[in-house]
Amino acid sequence: MASAERTQEILKGLREAVVAYDEEAAARLSKAALAEGVSAYDAVRQGLAAGMEKVGEMFAKHEYFVPEVLLCSDALYAGLDILRPHIRAGDASEVRKQIVLGTVEGDVHDIGKNLVKIMFEAAGWLVHDLGTDVKLEKFAEEQARTNADIVGLSALMTSTMLAMPRVIQMIKARSPGAAVMVGGAPLSPEIARQYGADGYARNAGEAVREAVNMLSRLGTKG
Amino acid sequence: MARQDRMTSPERMADLLGGRPIDRVPLFLFAKGFSAVNVGYPVASVVNDPEKSFRAQVWTQEMYGHDEEPRLSYAIYGGWEFGGEVKFPTGEFAQAPSISRYPVQSEADVEKLKLPDVKTAGILPLMMEFCRLQEKAGRPIVPSFESPFTTAGNICGVSTLCRWMLKRPELVHRLLRLATDHVLEMMRYWVETFGAERLRPNEGAPTESNNMISAKHFAEFAFPYVKELHGKLLAMGVKHIASHICGEQNANLPYWAQVPMGDPGIVSFGHEVDLATAVKYFGDTCVIAGNIQPAVIQTGTPEQVYQLCGQALAKAKYAPRGFILMPGCELSPLTPPHNVYMMKKAVTDFGWYEAVPSDV
Ligand code: B1M
Repeated sequence: MASAERTQEILKGLREAVVAYDEEAAARLSKAALAEGVSAYDAVRQGLAAGMEKVGEMFAKHEYFVPEVLLCSDALYAGLDILRPHIRAGDASEVRKQIVLGTVEGDVHDIGKNLVKIMFEAAGWLVHDLGTDVKLEKFAEEQARTNADIVGLSALMTSTMLAMPRVIQMIKARSPGAAVMVGGAPLSPEIARQYGADGYARNAGEAVREAVNMLSRLGTKG
Repeated sequence: MARQDRMTSPERMADLLGGRPIDRVPLFLFAKGFSAVNVGYPVASVVNDPEKSFRAQVWTQEMYGHDEEPRLSYAIYGGWEFGGEVKFPTGEFAQAPSISRYPVQSEADVEKLKLPDVKTAGILPLMMEFCRLQEKAGRPIVPSFESPFTTAGNICGVSTLCRWMLKRPELVHRLLRLATDHVLEMMRYWVETFGAERLRPNEGAPTESNNMISAKHFAEFAFPYVKELHGKLLAMGVKHIASHICGEQNANLPYWAQVPMGDPGIVSFGHEVDLATAVKYFGDTCVIAGNIQPAVIQTGTPEQVYQLCGQALAKAKYAPRGFILMPGCELSPLTPPHNVYMMKKAVTDFGWYEAVPSDV
């Protein structure tokens, strides 16, 4: 069992490994955490995920750009692959939440959506990524199949953004309890509301926080 | 009564590029999918059917009295040409083609990648057919491509390109080399076919925006290749290059300003770059074009569009080498016609250069 001091050292190392996009250090420290008896759950939450949250902030402040964020996420996954199988059912205080995510039909812009996905995975969510140019009915189908808490829709063009109200209607018709969050450069909180979405996030860093808030606002599964 | 144009569109553009006075600020609509829908054709026809594409763009140009030469182009250039697969737009909300399979899927594929045959690859036979229609109509000929960096992203996917920039820069340089050499080969073929004088090459550069990469990475990867490409195009005898510097590129502008564009070139910007900034960096060497936000043209009120255009004209109308009013990126095919008309109304209300007696 690692001492409190050693535990803190490992957690800090994991955070720094993610921020410095050092895949090798993230994997090595994740193994060390397991070998030395640090809880896998803590190593993910207070180590890797906390590091990724910092990366999200750096991206929002233009200190990091897409290449850096993608490599940070590779370091994150290198650690998650090792630690996740060791998280015990009782560790997490609640059931693992799920999101269906995709860029709507006609739109191939996927970089923003991928960053959103990374932030959800870092926060421990199970992400069902439908990719880009996703047929409108596919979102509702996948939500019904997985019973996901949230459906996240991304659009980068004003043309494809117009598909969103239709997708939202399809989801609500099939699963009235499912919450829908929208995002992407042309969206705004007002447009999201007009479209009947339950939530909107401006960037990947805010997306998870908004998802959690949205679920508690709606009093659904959250 | 509204003032009438004193020049035809070809006269206006020829005189603008020739450095002679013109009657009013030219208007470009950046309207490809919009033009197709405007005349009742499918959106895809603007890229996969040269005849329909040409007709749709010419008719739309005539209807709206705008000055942009038609062209057959897409932002995913390189994906199909280097051996991948593309999907043409079909759905109700679709605006442009997308890449369904990238030619490069792995590091090993980069080594194997070869320069495509410019007579047969991807969209090039369609573009050649389109340019022959321009030739037959006695118009300028507009070959279109994307910058080397954007082309490289279209060859291997932007996420992969981004990862390799940090982990395997030599692979990125190889892709950039191939992208640059390919466009040079393609343009040589166009020069042989039509002569350099009539060519008005058109380039898009979205993936190098600071939405994606830092100015430091722009300087390392994007800048040297686009600079080389333009230098060599001008050496082939091309007179003017039109470059669309898409998205948020403020931090890249000091580099872009060193890229030769012709005398003058035409540089167009998204709403993310202030026109006064654009004039500061490029005004002495290039015609400035832009930068009305396409989202506002699609979803705003006519008054908003008119007001934005008025502000743009006030800022850039007297740019030393000229100004063209234009959307900040391609118009959505779903843009309401009355908002497009507001752009035309703004140039006919505020775009005049010469005084006429009724003004005085
Ligand atoms: C579910 O909850 C959420 C919550 C938050 C969410 C969310 C979901 N989704 C996103 N977010 C938020 O979090 C993310 C991270 O913080 C953020 O995501 P973003 O995606 O905003 O940010 C990314 C991290 C970085 N940003 C980007 O990735 C987009 C950058 C810009 C320059 C851009 C790029 C790179 C590209 N493009 Co295109 N492109 C532009 C863009 C300019 C701009 N102002 O956005 C835009 C989007 N493009 C445009 C256009 C017109 C086009 N593009 C096209 C193509 C391309 C490329 C392929 C070359 C490339 C995309 C590569 C790729 N794989 O994604 C074409 C369309 C292709 C298609 N079928 O979709 C084409 C039609 C161009 C053409 N002439 O063919 C414009 C759209 C205009 C409009 N009508 O609204 C555009 C705004 C440029 C402009 N200046 O006007 C937030 O929005």
